[in-house]
Amino acid sequence: MLKIVNGAVYDPANNIDGEVRDVCIDDGKVVDSVEGGRTIDASGMIVMPGGVDMHAHIAGPKVNTARKMRPEDHRLDPVPRTSLTRSGVGKSVPSTFATGYRYAAMGYTTAFDAAVPPIAARHAHEEFSDIPVVDKGFFVLMGNNEYIMQQIAAGERGRMRDYVAWLLQATKGYAIKMVNPGGVEMWKSLGNTHTLDEEVVGFGVTPRGIIRSLAEAGMELHLPHPVHIHCNELGVAGNWETTLETMKTLDGVRGHLAHVQFHSYGGDPGGMFVSRVPELAEYVNTHPNLTVDVGQILFGDTTSMTGDGPLAHMLHQVTGRKWVNVDVENECGCGIVPIEYKDKSHMHTTQWAVGLEWYLMVNDPWRIALSTDHPNGASFVSYPQVIRLLMDREFRREAIKKVNPKAVAKTALPDLDREYSLFEIAIITRAAPARILGLKHKGHLGIGADADVTIYDKCDDAEKMFSVPRYVIKEGEVLVEDGSIRRETFGKTLYVAPVYDTAVEKDIREYFRKYYTIEFENYPVQLEHYLPRPREVATTGDS
Amino acid sequence: MQVDHVVCAFCGCVCDDISVTVEGDRITKAKNACVLGKSWFLSHGTPSDLPVARIEGKPVSLDRGIEEAARCLANARYPLIYGLSSTSCEAQRKAVALAEVLGGCIDCCTSVCHGPSGMALQGVGEPTCTLGEVKNRADLIIYWGSNPAESHPRHMARYAVTPKGMFVPDGRKGRTVVLIDVRRTPSARAADIFLQIKPGKDFEVLWALQALANGQKPDEISIENTGLTYEQLTGLADRMMHCKFGVIFVGQGLTQTRGKHFNTSAVFLLVRALNRHVKFALIPMRGHGNVTGIDNVLAWQTGYPFGVNFSLGYPRFNPGEYTVVDLLSRGEADAALVVAADPISSLPGKAARRLAEIPLVSLDTHDSETTRSARIAFTTSTAGIHAEGTVYRMDNIPIHLRKVMDSSYPSDEEVLDRLLAGVKELKAC
Amino acid sequence: MTVLTLKSQLQAPLEAGVIVPDRFAGNSVAAVAGMPVTYGNEAACLGDFFKVAGAGSTEIVLEGDLGRVKNIAAGMTRGKITVHGDAGMHLGSEMRGGVINVYGNVGDWAGSEMKGGKIHIHGNAGHGLGGAYRGSRRGMNRGMIIVEGNAGNEAGAVMRRGLIVVAGNAGDFAGAFMIAGTLMVFGKLGIRAGAGLLRGTLVTFNQPELLPTFCYDCSYSPSFLKLILRDLRLQGLSISEEYITGCYRRYSGDFNRLGKGEILVYDQR
Repeated sequence: MLKIVNGAVYDPANNIDGEVRDVCIDDGKVVDSVEGGRTIDASGMIVMPGGVDMHAHIAGPKVNTARKMRPEDHRLDPVPRTSLTRSGVGKSVPSTFATGYRYAAMGYTTAFDAAVPPIAARHAHEEFSDIPVVDKGFFVLMGNNEYIMQQIAAGERGRMRDYVAWLLQATKGYAIKMVNPGGVEMWKSLGNTHTLDEEVVGFGVTPRGIIRSLAEAGMELHLPHPVHIHCNELGVAGNWETTLETMKTLDGVRGHLAHVQFHSYGGDPGGMFVSRVPELAEYVNTHPNLTVDVGQILFGDTTSMTGDGPLAHMLHQVTGRKWVNVDVENECGCGIVPIEYKDKSHMHTTQWAVGLEWYLMVNDPWRIALSTDHPNGASFVSYPQVIRLLMDREFRREAIKKVNPKAVAKTALPDLDREYSLFEIAIITRAAPARILGLKHKGHLGIGADADVTIYDKCDDAEKMFSVPRYVIKEGEVLVEDGSIRRETFGKTLYVAPVYDTAVEKDIREYFRKYYTIEFENYPVQLEHYLPRPREVATTGDS
Repeated sequence: MQVDHVVCAFCGCVCDDISVTVEGDRITKAKNACVLGKSWFLSHGTPSDLPVARIEGKPVSLDRGIEEAARCLANARYPLIYGLSSTSCEAQRKAVALAEVLGGCIDCCTSVCHGPSGMALQGVGEPTCTLGEVKNRADLIIYWGSNPAESHPRHMARYAVTPKGMFVPDGRKGRTVVLIDVRRTPSARAADIFLQIKPGKDFEVLWALQALANGQKPDEISIENTGLTYEQLTGLADRMMHCKFGVIFVGQGLTQTRGKHFNTSAVFLLVRALNRHVKFALIPMRGHGNVTGIDNVLAWQTGYPFGVNFSLGYPRFNPGEYTVVDLLSRGEADAALVVAADPISSLPGKAARRLAEIPLVSLDTHDSETTRSARIAFTTSTAGIHAEGTVYRMDNIPIHLRKVMDSSYPSDEEVLDRLLAGVKELKAC
Repeated sequence: MTVLTLKSQLQAPLEAGVIVPDRFAGNSVAAVAGMPVTYGNEAACLGDFFKVAGAGSTEIVLEGDLGRVKNIAAGMTRGKITVHGDAGMHLGSEMRGGVINVYGNVGDWAGSEMKGGKIHIHGNAGHGLGGAYRGSRRGMNRGMIIVEGNAGNEAGAVMRRGLIVVAGNAGDFAGAFMIAGTLMVFGKLGIRAGAGLLRGTLVTFNQPELLPTFCYDCSYSPSFLKLILRDLRLQGLSISEEYITGCYRRYSGDFNRLGKGEILVYDQR
């Protein structure tokens, strides 16, 4: 039992904006009142739900290959063991233990990996078992799944939907993820797709068809988070039109566009980037079926890792740095390249400004989530810096002075005066991502919510304040106190199990026999073995 | 009793279509398994009379063995944990935890097989794919410095050469198979083209091929002593640049000969250059059943894939400094725990001799030179026969091991967990 | 001047990154003796292993067989360290300034990723001299290393700037993937020298076996070489006059990369 008293509570989902009130916790949940137990006096402090990261790359084969690839990065940031915690490494691709501790130390209690190849789902779960503190889940790559494309082409929509449900069950995943739909398949013969209506060679479908079909399937299956899209043409000048087309394709269905910063460029292909955020943000503002996360970049060295193989190859050619490509049978692929964002660079400055424009130009904070697409734009540990850029206009002006002046002048950023309030920050870092993900028990402090709470010392410097919370409470237990971890626990794995007609399994089994290299019977992830603390999120349809 | 879809954890192919017959207390059949797999199932599926624990060769209880082994390791100043390529990821995770608590080094068989492939990845990256991509798409298969017919007997039939795939509907007929090695191995029979190069000339050949893929003309005279003619070389380059999807399977003939990680870097860079023309990939031919698993476990827990040191309380990596042969040859390691490997019979003389001199703890399913030299030897059950667990195939695909029968021996995971508890108690942490 | 004398033979590696003038300066004898080191897996003090004479200064003298002592002078920016005996791995790695003299042999990765200063090794060097740690984009980046004996494999690998001189032989892959800078080897070069050379210069006095991606350009007397060789004489190396006045064959490569590097081979004719 725990009682947090005298704190200024920011709980946007319950419309509480800095009101001083008590938060009572019992048995891992927020309750109406408690008798006895510990009391934390949060006088002069700020109380928020634990942070929710809805788009990061923290576990699974791609992340682990990036770890193997970057000893020079790890060497700069060793994480020593303590009597309570395991050792590891940090920087752009932290080891599993360090990942959990660093999220926790920043007041984040839930994180989702945004791109797991279904065949390697078991690997992601194994890493999850070694990521302490946070609750976690992952999105399952489906936008280039050959079985799905074949069913779409054959008009077998029901079978496709059953397969999607089967795949989510088999992987113990959380949502449908598309990465460059159709384009990654084309990359398997060195190609790519450049418009939504180009045919995916050999499959008779188009990216538009894939996007629409999977978005509809996600709705029909009542998934808490219907569909999560990494649009085609990431990082290419002129890609904003593709992004806009993707948004239009989602007409009438819910959809989430990931790291939109990377998808909002005008200009001629191969040329300079120009911001087209105003047009895209306006579309989002007027279409409540759409949500976005930003994928903010920050300056410095990081690791780009993506399910978008052709994009990684392009980055490799531009930067000349080491390059990993992995094509995954029947399902997807990935690419990894180290990258350094430089504040002197015209292109990087534009990207930085585009990200900030997104935050400042979407009117409804409930439909935009804070992300850096960790580690693609920057590490998740730099979220507090992003928060300060949004909350502190003067700080932002100083930052603008340090970047490429020509590039930033071409964006709307210098003219944007909006400042986020603490209430709005609580929305984009907790309440909104939880709502977008369909997590009813997270991102708020109402009765019955998970008792994941972060308490900050009030401070004018928002970056400082959000970097080192005073207390972090997970499932009702105080894990971080005065900036250090007091106890190691392991959070839960969130997954969905949508129902489907099992008749589809006969066809899938036959498909496995022909095209896979592992047995159909050995494919599904064993819940009891790989999810030490499973938590199924219902697909009831009332979301 | 027959158990289907059983996973063979013997080699890096990790075939998961084995039907195992259990009669009484032994395995009598392993349908679909290759000759190596069959012998693995049958030998591990036969009751053993080894004691669960021995100290100086004398049988003791498991408790007594744990107590003595924990003391041995906790007293060491520079302890080494080594092996781990033939056990489950669950056991490997315990081994890393133990190394951390000991402040020791942990290294795996990777360091003496495909460590140089890992180092090439760190230097230049790696264009690769899963084995199913090879099955479904590859029309040019190159085995370089590897001999699958003897080391991975089902590799060709199951993944790379004969199977029919989505874009290779004719199977074997739709593919060209090239074998490149310093001697004609039994694998040559299955190849369309065998190219014999002189020992120690792999790098030069790879480097010249890269030049051709880059549109450069390599110096003809320096090709002369590679064993290939200039025409053979350009013919091979031409074939590579005009296939649909090519793959090079990288063997220890490249990783463990002079040049080591530069040889593998040369392959990786060649494949990178080829990707300007056609889709091309490479896959290291990982040997042991879960050697890929220990690389993965070490990478996610410590950031580094092999040769990790914890003496400062956090992981550090430096092949040549924290790798098994170097630690032993320089006489630095002063106690060792060997799990599921036989380094005393496989490491170079000086390293093996040092290992036999220092306090040694071993975990294995059967007797070996190493278990016989060990001060404390534990007999454990076999992951994939007596216990469930996870292994990673050579292409990093994770596969769940099925349990086929019971064993009276504890698993590696259980023994390591108890050792961990024992060491923690002694070190008071 | 601070003199550290090793008390007895070490059994395990001693991590002694504290032995840098920057750390010693201004400390008492007791404070120097109390500086933290790690012996194997145990925290210990410098004084447990060394007799310390003289208060902490920017001039340090080390005596004894320090072959197991790692990280001596790592990251040093100023002052002088003299080792009478062998030194362990990572000597002067990432150093930025100052001078190191070793009258003995040194372990692997001496001068790795150094950014300035000078290392003079009177015995042999190990592998990775002036090189880069795994995964790094750049090895040595400014500064100078002289080895009077032999060097192991990968000397000057991924070097970015600076000068490495080896009076004896060098192992395989000398100057591999070098970005720029100069590596000079008076003895024999191992195989595959200059593999992946981007820019930069390898100078050698015995015809090496060249990779197929190098090609002969011309023979000439490079004037920059005369300057370097005369300077090396001042550093105490004996350089024969023919090397200074003689002709060199120039091979350019590596054509698998930019091809702007060169291997200069002294022409004995």
